[in-house]
Amino acid sequence: MNKHSHKSAYIVMTLVIIWLVLPLLATIIYSLFEDWTGIIPKGFTLANYESIFTNEDFLTSMYQTVLICIIPIFITVLIMLLALFVVTVYFPKIEKYVQILCMIPYTIQGIILSVSILILYANSESFFGNRMVMLLGAYCIIILPYIYNGIRNGMRAINMNMLLEAAEMLGESKIKAFFKVIVPNIISGITVSSLLAVSLLFGDYVIIRNLSSTDVNNMQQFLYQTMKRSSTEASAVFVVIMLITFLIAAIVLTIQSRSSSEKLKETGK
Amino acid sequence: MDGKKRVAKSKLSTYRYYFLIALVPFIILVAMYEVMPLIMLVIDSFQLDKDPSVAFSLDNYTKIFSTLSYQKAMENSLVITLISTGVGIVVAFLGARAAHESHGRYKRFFMAVLNMTSNFAGVPLAFAYMILLGNAGVIKQIANMYGIEFIQNFDLYTSNGLTIMYIYFQIPLATLLLIPAFNGIRNEWHEANELLGGNTAQFWLRIGIPILIPSLFSTMSVLFANSLCAYATAYALLMNNFSLLPLNISASFVGDIKTKPKLGAALSVVMMLMLCIVILFNNFITKKTTKWEGR
Repeated sequence: MNKHSHKSAYIVMTLVIIWLVLPLLATIIYSLFEDWTGIIPKGFTLANYESIFTNEDFLTSMYQTVLICIIPIFITVLIMLLALFVVTVYFPKIEKYVQILCMIPYTIQGIILSVSILILYANSESFFGNRMVMLLGAYCIIILPYIYNGIRNGMRAINMNMLLEAAEMLGESKIKAFFKVIVPNIISGITVSSLLAVSLLFGDYVIIRNLSSTDVNNMQQFLYQTMKRSSTEASAVFVVIMLITFLIAAIVLTIQSRSSSEKLKETGK
Repeated sequence: MDGKKRVAKSKLSTYRYYFLIALVPFIILVAMYEVMPLIMLVIDSFQLDKDPSVAFSLDNYTKIFSTLSYQKAMENSLVITLISTGVGIVVAFLGARAAHESHGRYKRFFMAVLNMTSNFAGVPLAFAYMILLGNAGVIKQIANMYGIEFIQNFDLYTSNGLTIMYIYFQIPLATLLLIPAFNGIRNEWHEANELLGGNTAQFWLRIGIPILIPSLFSTMSVLFANSLCAYATAYALLMNNFSLLPLNISASFVGDIKTKPKLGAALSVVMMLMLCIVILFNNFITKKTTKWEGR
């Protein structure tokens, strides 16, 4: 590539970075100062952070967010592992249908999924009419594409049938071999897709707004309520949300780059 | 020998059906929270909020297409979606090309920024833009100080403001989706183009973009769905004071005013149809453009 295109590539990347970082940076600065009406903000302060971390509602919403993110991921990973084990080992013909079912949530997204679950269960007096059950059900579905892809790609990368046969020859049953041999081999793929699912659920606003009762709030809802009340406090909530999102993305990137460098090593032999 | 094998095989095939039990949790989950709700949604869209005795009617649909506020909602949704998708794909093309052409630390930093911001949408995004460009926003005040008119006159709380935010969240997603496609463009093609006397613009117009067309269209269909269904960003900025499909759908199920769930179901079906059209169109393009690979 010539020098000219090199230069223009840097310019494009720099412009995109500025566009993406500017709103974040402005809000971080806003959260750290008392007054920003001129060009230069005045009066450095951590008071906003102090006030949200002593706010019981904030801590509750944080705790609830963690719970409603982790439970559905745990359920969906387990269900998908069982389903994909049977399908790939015994019934490869129906894999197509499993794939379609797993990809539908990707197109209907949160808004349509949440209202259609509302139609079916909102007036039900039974267990399924419970708002928490509806929310967890919707969350299990909305993360299906990510979990499916993670497990499926992991299974494709290793030679699953050969590993299973080898384990069978050594006297293990297939299902035991699956959990003892296959799952440890694809665990990094499962971790990455689970983390992607965490960041998806962590950023959810529409499903929880439509489905949950008022006493269950996630951090997005807390941010929305705070921002109606005080923009300086909301900016501190914003920074906490952003840091958590970035932390998850950073972990994903590290795992991915580590596993790809391992692959390089293996093929390099 | 052959007979033995067959017996063993048939034994195996009855035995393997026991394993269908492991598929049951998946089937229950998908049936209860994906398939049945969607079927109910479609059935409900043909029933009426006023008169529950009617089993089948197209009234909801005729109402949607003849009422001004719903027409406006569809128009706003489509216009914002198309603009943000168009701008998103152009910027993503340039960004992905730049990433493809460069190496080293700065590229890694660029990728990190894309990854970090690709999950940044919804309420936090709307809030950050209010701090930046809202009525008392930082940039607004700087513009007031120096009398920069076009920023002073810019109103964030309109469809323009919404479009800017949608463009924001489309860019990292689209760029990340496009970067792998650029790896398919080989250096030899650049060289061949140069040997034949072509310049860079000719390379991209005649070789690069045609090669990338399947990836460009599939990225665009993801962007379309992503923006058409976006709810939180619009709600955080404008609440329900704006006609937009996701806002209208949600407001007809949960809201302070009287809810109209059957009409909301019909609106959801209309939105699903829009998504289906885009997906089918994308499949058609992919089929047309990837034919040559098989030859």
